[in-house]
Amino acid sequence: MALSVVMPALEMAQETGKLVAWRKQEGDRVVKGDVLLEVETDKAVIELEAAGDGILAGVNAQAGAVVPVGQTIAWIVAPGEVPPPEIAPAATARRTTAAAPAAPVATTSASVPAAAEAKISPKARRLAKERGIDISRLRGSGPGGEILAADILAAAPPSASTPPEAEALSSVARLMAERTTQSWTTVPHFFLVRELDATALVEARKQMLQTIEKTGGVRPTLTDFLVALVARVLTKHPQMNSSWTGSAVRQNPEVNIAIAMAVKDGVVGAVIPGANRLGLADIAAQRSALTERARAGKLRPADIAGATFTVSNLGMYNVDAFIAIITPPQAAILAVGRVADRVVPVDGKPGIRPMMTLALSSDHRAVDGARAAEFLNDVAEAFREPREWLP
Amino acid sequence: MPDAAPRELTFAQAIREALAEEMRRDSRVCIMGEDVAEAGTPFKVLSGLVEEFGKERVLDTPISEAGFTGLAVGAAMTGLRPVVDIMFGDFITLTMDQMVNQAAKVHYMSGGTWKVPMVMRTTLGATRRSAAQHSQSLHAWFCHVPGLKVVLPSTPYDAKGLLKAAIRDENPVVFFEDKMMYKQKGPVPAEEYTIPLGLADVKRAGSDITLVATSSMVQVALGAADLLDQAGISAEVVDPRTAWPLDEHTLIESAKKTSRVIVMDEGYERYGVTAEIASVIAAGAFYDLDAPVKRMGAMHVPIPFSPPLEDVTVPTEQTVFEAARALCGRS
Repeated sequence: MALSVVMPALEMAQETGKLVAWRKQEGDRVVKGDVLLEVETDKAVIELEAAGDGILAGVNAQAGAVVPVGQTIAWIVAPGEVPPPEIAPAATARRTTAAAPAAPVATTSASVPAAAEAKISPKARRLAKERGIDISRLRGSGPGGEILAADILAAAPPSASTPPEAEALSSVARLMAERTTQSWTTVPHFFLVRELDATALVEARKQMLQTIEKTGGVRPTLTDFLVALVARVLTKHPQMNSSWTGSAVRQNPEVNIAIAMAVKDGVVGAVIPGANRLGLADIAAQRSALTERARAGKLRPADIAGATFTVSNLGMYNVDAFIAIITPPQAAILAVGRVADRVVPVDGKPGIRPMMTLALSSDHRAVDGARAAEFLNDVAEAFREPREWLP
Repeated sequence: MPDAAPRELTFAQAIREALAEEMRRDSRVCIMGEDVAEAGTPFKVLSGLVEEFGKERVLDTPISEAGFTGLAVGAAMTGLRPVVDIMFGDFITLTMDQMVNQAAKVHYMSGGTWKVPMVMRTTLGATRRSAAQHSQSLHAWFCHVPGLKVVLPSTPYDAKGLLKAAIRDENPVVFFEDKMMYKQKGPVPAEEYTIPLGLADVKRAGSDITLVATSSMVQVALGAADLLDQAGISAEVVDPRTAWPLDEHTLIESAKKTSRVIVMDEGYERYGVTAEIASVIAAGAFYDLDAPVKRMGAMHVPIPFSPPLEDVTVPTEQTVFEAARALCGRS
């Protein structure tokens, strides 16, 4: 007696199954347990075994077909036996758009009509899939009748759920994305955080502001002070002013401080070369010119080359403290938060002081925690006694 | 502050200025080749350099490309930074063993002990009525070899910035100049700059089709883009600037944006630079392509001496325009 081979229900709520491939072909002798075919569900491809011995016959679904669960797709018959006549060609079986070319299975009844598939561009196919459009209903507008993206878009405008297309990046934005990814994924960062009393720093700036503004014509910012002080402290800590070369640590002969500056599409490090040898007025003048060029999008290649250490100040954005990503091949970056009044112990009593938080990110291949801590300590000392460093 | 009017240089002047600046900057940089000294090459690209830098650093060689290229490889390995001049790109065939088996491999085979920081400058381009042995664009030959970088500048600005970067590179770089472009003018700032190898440049932004073009084909693509604009098709022109390293990211992103791409290069189309770039785009932007990636290059024939025949062997503004229109379904 003939045994039917049916599309199995492998999961709850499964309505159809996709016939991936026949492992036996029409007319093959099969033994119970032989793998007859492979069926794909949403989750997996499984093998369907023969339920009894006999000859595989009456195959009516081809590889690629999506068949309703429970439908008979073939029979196992005794030698000489004819499959039951009631098996009609699987009218409901349809070729999916993504069907592999029909396997060269020798079928007797060749049940599925090989409907000529419309040609469709890869982009149009993707869009149709995303928007759930049946391309068999579309007429293509391509030179040879191909279905193009425009045909899909005309058939279904993007739904609200379609994620908006990402905007193409400018080169600054792209470079920022690439550099920060490279740094974050390849440079072993470690972080040291230090809070300090900025009273002296604020005072020093007040005292020096007018003289410098009068003589130099530029008003020095807190960042200028930080650059001047950090550059001078760096000369005592050459390891913080070094670069990991891939096999060794190179100490950079110059102290070139980059200042992280926001530009239209991202951030750039504008460089003040030899900042350790420059006075505040010179640093302020250079920083001011760099800021202007950065805002106008006219930074020159030399303006952003050769930095050995970066200072990033987000105080003006009212950030209390933050951790920055190193710009290789520099070994470190100092992230500076805002100066804000805090209640702190002063001589054993609560007092109000302008406080700031520094966070130093260092490349552990170039420098270790103890040395970075010594550097950060000296930076904090310099910030507490700025007049000793900036006569 | 208003900027002063940008300074303009010819392509040849930009090359000469890059060489002069690098020779002033670094005493190890020297030039060797045929007719490079007093003659300043047949294209007059190097005029004046021997007067400034002397015959020790601007060295006229015998007509023996294999010989003086080998000389340059050795000089580069032992501390100089030679810039070799191969008058016609067709003659690179004579330098192949030195470039492919020595220059390209020494760094690798010596475990990084030896470097070959040399530049080979040579030419490409047809339509100069120079016949089949002086008109080829053979840069694809070098692109095929790991260890060589290949630069294809298309403007005076790019030529200067890329040549300076090539001279400072620690590896052998082959630098192809279009013979027909030497007199083309363009803005070149007086101040110092270099252009990193491996960074493409979008020469014109557009939304309907991407024209990827190298070297001599960039001007053709820009001309075709003007024609397309009049036909209501917005073409983006992307210049990879270096065939290797190749800025795959920019090429793929442009293809994703426009969905249609023509890749053009003056080398032979078959097995050429266009094939590699088209393949990169097809793989990277497959699900955003609305048409097959089309390639346009030199026909698979010896470049004819006959002017009417020579002119049809390479893509022109008109042929690119027609191909682009057809690809956009507007022919």
